[in-house]
This record gives sequence, C-alpha cells and structure tokens, in this order.
Amino acid sequence: MKLRKTYTPYLFLVPALIFMGIFLFYPIVDVFRLSFTNYNMIQEASYVGNQNYQDLLNDPLFWKTLKNSFIYLIGVVPLLVILPIFIAILVNRKLKGIKWFRAAYYIPVVTSMVVVGIMWKWLYRGNGLLNYLLQTIGLINEPISWLTSTDYALYSVMAVTIWKGLGYYMVIYLAGLQSIPQDLYEVAQIDGANWWQKHLHITIPLLKPSILLVTILSSIAAMKVFTEVYVMTKGGPINSSKTLVFYIYEKAFENLNLGYAAAMGFVLFVIIFILSFINFKVLGQE
Amino acid sequence: MSKKLITLTLLVVFLFTMSSIGLAQEKQIEFWTMQLKPTFTDYINGVISDFEEENPNIDVKWVDVPWADMEKKILAATAANNAPDVANLNVPFSMKLAELDALVDMDANLSDDVKDRYFPTVWKANTYEGETHAIPWYLSTSVTMYNETIFENAGLNPDNPPQNYWELLEMGRQIKEKTGKFIFLPPIAETGRYMEYMVREGIPLMNDDGTAAFNTEKSVEFLQLWARMYEERLIPEETVTEGHNAAVDFYQSGQAAILLTGPQFLSRIEENAPEIFEKTRVAPEISGSAQKVGVAVMNIAVLEQTEYKDASLKFAAYITNNENQLEFCKLVNILPSTKKAAQAPYFTEIDPNSVKDKAKKVSAEQLERAENLVPPIENQSQLNEVINQMVQNALLGKKSPKEAISDAETEWNNIMSN
Repeated sequence: MKLRKTYTPYLFLVPALIFMGIFLFYPIVDVFRLSFTNYNMIQEASYVGNQNYQDLLNDPLFWKTLKNSFIYLIGVVPLLVILPIFIAILVNRKLKGIKWFRAAYYIPVVTSMVVVGIMWKWLYRGNGLLNYLLQTIGLINEPISWLTSTDYALYSVMAVTIWKGLGYYMVIYLAGLQSIPQDLYEVAQIDGANWWQKHLHITIPLLKPSILLVTILSSIAAMKVFTEVYVMTKGGPINSSKTLVFYIYEKAFENLNLGYAAAMGFVLFVIIFILSFINFKVLGQE
Repeated sequence: MSKKLITLTLLVVFLFTMSSIGLAQEKQIEFWTMQLKPTFTDYINGVISDFEEENPNIDVKWVDVPWADMEKKILAATAANNAPDVANLNVPFSMKLAELDALVDMDANLSDDVKDRYFPTVWKANTYEGETHAIPWYLSTSVTMYNETIFENAGLNPDNPPQNYWELLEMGRQIKEKTGKFIFLPPIAETGRYMEYMVREGIPLMNDDGTAAFNTEKSVEFLQLWARMYEERLIPEETVTEGHNAAVDFYQSGQAAILLTGPQFLSRIEENAPEIFEKTRVAPEISGSAQKVGVAVMNIAVLEQTEYKDASLKFAAYITNNENQLEFCKLVNILPSTKKAAQAPYFTEIDPNSVKDKAKKVSAEQLERAENLVPPIENQSQLNEVINQMVQNALLGKKSPKEAISDAETEWNNIMSN
C-alpha cells in the first residue's frame, strides 16, 4: 500500500517527461552533436571536429549579433520587468470598466507578431504616422529614420517587443497582486505612507516571486528574438538589427550550414542557461 | 461454426492481398507547387486528371505549399527521406538543391525532342556545370508600370516613359520637385537583386574561375547613381531594408511614380488600388546600358530521392508541354517557356484599351531577348548577402561606392575560395 502511494505522483510525471524527452532533451543533445559536423540537411553529415566553434570565434558577425542580442536584453528586460508592475497596480482597482483596460493591454499579446511587425513597419516609415505625429506636434523637425538608420533600427525593433510584451507580464503581476493582503495597505495608510512608499515597501517586496519569473521569461524571450527582426528589418541595415537567433536562422536555412548554426545555437543555449542561473541566485534568495 | 469463421477470414485476407497487389502496380508520385491554390486549383487538377487518363498506372498526389514555406518544407522533407517526387521551385532554390545533388539531371534524362521544345536561353537558367537540374515552366518578364497622373503633374510626357536607369536621376528630381513623390523603390538591397541591375548595365559579375569581376570604374559610377538618388531621397529611405513588396506598396499607395514588376501584379493593383490602376500605363522594362532583359523562371524539378524516376520525368515533361502551358497562360499573365506556345496569337492579338492586355503583349515581346540575368552560382545566398551589404553601405553613405565595391570583391573571393 505504501509503495503504491509513493509511485503514483511519478507515474503522472512520466507522460510529460517522455514528451519533453523527445521534443526537448533529445533535440538539444542532437544539436550539440550536429555542431561537430557539416550537416546541410540533404547530404550525409561528416565529422569536422570543433571547426565550427573555431570559426565562430573568428566570425565578426557572430560577435556583432551576440552584442546586438545583449543590447536587446539590457534594453528590453528592465522595462518589461518594471513597467508592467505599475500597469498591473493601476488596473487592479475595482473601477467600473477596468476590465476593458486590462483587455486593451492584453490585445497586443494575442495579436500575431507578424501582424504587429507589419503594422509597426508602416508606422515607422519615413513618411509614416509616427513621424507625421511627432512633426505635427513640433517634437522633431525632420523625419527620423526609425528602421533605416543603423543607429536606431535595433532600438525601434526593441520598442515593438516591449509594446507587445507589456500585457503578458502585466497579467502575471496581476495574479501576484491578488495574494497581497489588503490590510497591509490599510496599515500603511494609517501610518501616513503615500502611494509611492506603499508600493515600494509592500507591493514590490511581496511581488518578488513574480518579479523573478518575469525576469527569467523576458530574458529568455529577449535572447530569442526573431519574428520582429524578420518582419521589420531582416537584420538590416548593415546587420545593425540582426540578433543572434536571426543569424543562426540565416546560417541554417539560407546558407544550409546547419553544423555552424548548431554551434552558435549551442553557445546561445549555454548563455541562456547561465543567465537563468544568475537570475535564480540573485532574485531567488529571500 | 469455426470452419465458417476460418473460411471468412481467409476470404478477407485474400481480398486484402489482391487489392494491395493492385495498389502496388500503381505508381504514386507526389507533386508540390508554390501557392497555386485556390486560383489555379481547377487548372492543375485538370492537367493531373488528363495525365492520369493517359497514364493509368500513375497516380499524382498534388500538394500546394505557401510561397515562403516551400524551401523549409522541402529541406525538412528531404532530411526525413520524405521528399516529393516532382516539385515546382524557383531558380535560386533549385540551384541550392542542385548544389547538394538533390535533383535529377534533365539533360541526361530527357529526349532531345522534349528538350528542344524550350527556349534555349531559358533552359540555361537551370544549367550548372554541364547539368540542367530542372525544366523551365512558366516565366515572367518585368514591365515598367507607371502612373500617368504623377508624370503629368511633374511636367513629364506620359507617352515617353524612361527606358534606362540613367534617365531616372533627372526624372526623379523633377518628380520630387513638382509633386513631392518618389520615382520608384528599386529592390536593390535585398536578395542580391542588384546583381541583375549590374548585368543589365553590362557590368561583368564574375570571371571564369568564379572570382569577382564587378570592381570596375563603370561599376563604381553605377553604384554612385543609386547612392545619389538615395541621398536626394528620390527613392525612399526604405530602399535600404525593404524590397519588392514595399515597391508594390509605394506604387499602389500613389507614393511612387513607377513600378518594375511582372504583369501579373496588375491584378493586385486593380484589386487594392483601383484609382491607381486607372492611371497605370505600361512600357518595356527599364534597363541599363547593355539593354538586357531579365526573365523570372519558375521551374519543375524531379528530386533524386524519388522512387519513380521515369513516372516523375514523364509528369514533369507533360505539365510543361506546349498545350498545357498555353492554357495556363490564358488564366493569368505569365509566359510559356516553350517556343510553340509563345508564338500563339493569344500573345499578339490584344485589346488595345486594356492595360493588362498591353502588359501581356509587352512582356511577351521581350521574351525573345530575355535571359536569366544571373546564372546559377554556388554559395548563392552568401554571395547575395555580400552584394546586399555592399549596396546598403553605399546607399547609407557608410562607405564610398568605390570602397563598398572593393570590400565586396574581397568578401566574394573569400567565399568562392572556401
């Protein structure tokens, strides 16, 4: 009787583990194996040792795209961790019609990134709506080359990722806010705390688990960015908005150099793993 | 009771065996096309059923794939040993597969009288190192579409459309000054298309040994032309990151005076921007100093992985024959790759008031002179990227045209020597 009790939970885990084994763990191991070959999808792969790894160390575009991916990380993650907290606080009131606001913030999340990318591509055009608005209200004199300047293209794409992700993380924080007891705020009110102090000393510390989750999710998402780049700039102009994942895609499916792409993919995997580990260490402790 | 059961079981097994033997006589070939449904569903089904009637033991299964997905799907299918038998591909992609020996050589496997049907210049579009890895199917030559109202407003004569790239600088300036519009969006910063422009201008692409040959004074002047047009914003700033789709966009929305594309796009303009369609006129494609005309080739290839090579070759030859191609051309503004079909009166007897008809006539007339401008080269996608970067750097002023071309030459030679 006792034996069966301890086995049952594990039995429930088995189907998910098998699924993950086939579609997650096995591909990761296989990509690692592929990175030591010159596989091109059509012919038999042959072993090339660590040539791919040596090549990527000497590949200026690998370093440039890695740098772009890190800029993406540093630019997007803090905003996607902090801003949604305040949006969640704002929509957490029991005002009439507040549900419409929550839905409005969530609509970008459920819209296809391809559609979002095309839409923003039009907004960002030289004679597009954004430049028109900014010029009309007098903020700028000349139109800005949002997507066609090597200085701005990457940041313009990042802005779209942030815009689309806000609602997603807002919902995570909303859920976290529900578990904060209201009397804590009442006590703080009595003690004379203002809005800012209340949230700084009560909400944010108690949201720590959500903040950890959002940081990890948004970090991984930022490192894996592909669709927005593909739809809006194709990594241009002059590779200024090319992220590592986009470069991997190009190497794998345009140049059919899957061995090299696998090597870069594996390096990316290790980086994300280390980032997540650091996240846990820094934010996981109490 | 059990005796009856045994007899019944034996009968069922017998029937199953007989039917599977019958099925085994049938050769099933899988045929993939690029985005022909739903517009051409009836046509293709018609060709397939005619073929199956003439060849009762061959069964053709038709799969239509969205344009953008074709490459990935075929690669994935080939890797999984599940490739189609016959596939409709475009030239760059079939070249990619041919480089990896994935396609059947048509030169070696088709009879001379079949091969003779096709225009030799177009047949060569798929020839690489002595092997031709696909049969040319339907073609498209680009025409110049232009907005006569923008021309008139700019003080330009709509009866006198530009014929070569060098005219576009002055025309562009006039259009910008009088109307504020762009002259057009040249898709020169993506997919290596600038190579076609260079060939039209008469600039050599590469030497016999594969090394770069485009670093010439003329080439610098040519790139300088586009850099100047970009600087003066005669062409939109989006030229540097966007391509043909944006070119159609800008024309359709009335922001650009000219569009260089295949006549089939007139239907799209008619649907999306009827007022622009009303003002659209057509002329032969704008070319460069070498007056060359390009042709976009869609082809039919047979994959090496096929189990039924003869049946696949038969089907490939059938769908690209004169009658079937002419019928296809009557449904949409494309051109046949076979000589006899191209001579049909359908292409010359037109309604002079219909701009679509006029486009058909102009594009058909160009067919004789047309050639696949950029021959199949290995490492095509990497070389395309080199050219893309060269153009982007020159347009944005990050490098002078001379420097950009010189750097591109070095990278090209690096890639070819690896």
